[in-house]
Amino acid sequence: MNEEKYIEERVGKRNPFLVPDGYFDSFTDRMMQQLPERPVSVEPSRKGRKPALMVRMRPWLYAAACALVLVVSVWLWQSQPDTSVATQPAAQLAVQQEQTSDATFDEAADYMMIDNQDIYTYLAEN
Amino acid sequence: MRQYSEQLYWQIRRIVLTHEDANDVLQNTFLKAWNGLDGFHGDAKISTWLSRIAINESLDFLRRNKQQTVSTEETTVANSLMADNYFDGSEIEAQLQEAIASLPDVQRTVFQLRYFEEMKYSDMGQLLNTSEGSLKASYHIAVKKISEFFKSRD
Repeated sequence: MNEEKYIEERVGKRNPFLVPDGYFDSFTDRMMQQLPERPVSVEPSRKGRKPALMVRMRPWLYAAACALVLVVSVWLWQSQPDTSVATQPAAQLAVQQEQTSDATFDEAADYMMIDNQDIYTYLAEN
Repeated sequence: MRQYSEQLYWQIRRIVLTHEDANDVLQNTFLKAWNGLDGFHGDAKISTWLSRIAINESLDFLRRNKQQTVSTEETTVANSLMADNYFDGSEIEAQLQEAIASLPDVQRTVFQLRYFEEMKYSDMGQLLNTSEGSLKASYHIAVKKISEFFKSRD
């Protein structure tokens, strides 16, 4: 390339920049002192921001789940034939109710996509 | 670090021109690299990755400072360099730096890497994430502008 040659002949390729004596020798030490011990993530922090909507809604969802369970349990209890309620021993009835409650609670939890971890966390926090 | 710091320093210095600024940018480069290690996935050589950061930091530095400095007859790039203790080039070498400094960022960078470092276009392409064709074109344009710069002063 003629123009490139022209510049080369006119000016050359010498490096005209200088550095202070010992600059590179001491640079590594100086730099190591500056680096934080552990890399600091450059991602923006989520602290201080409002927790996600789902997280804030959780107490309400649990309340709704409980209310639903209560309503369904009562409805089921009431819809059972009178004879069976009267004749069954109380303990058996309680177990039945509990099983029903468990099943409906599980259903409700599934429906709302709340898993056990969420429930444990909520219980631990409250 | 020593292995990389010299090469990076010169890439930076050729863009920002003064030792003081080059020192600042070099430190910022290593800080950024250190904090951004998570983002390095080994898809390029570490030296390429570091150079990329160094060049971006250098160009950002220039952009930030451009807003502050106004060039007058006394403070031309060439004059500033001749007055700089850490520049021992001739008048014409100072003028070459001035010509380079007047180029747009991409041409400026490509010219430095090709003319002074004699970097292969394939390596440059990896470094700047640009096609070789584009880089060659940028270099041709830069060379043309610089030679015209000198011819007009002859």
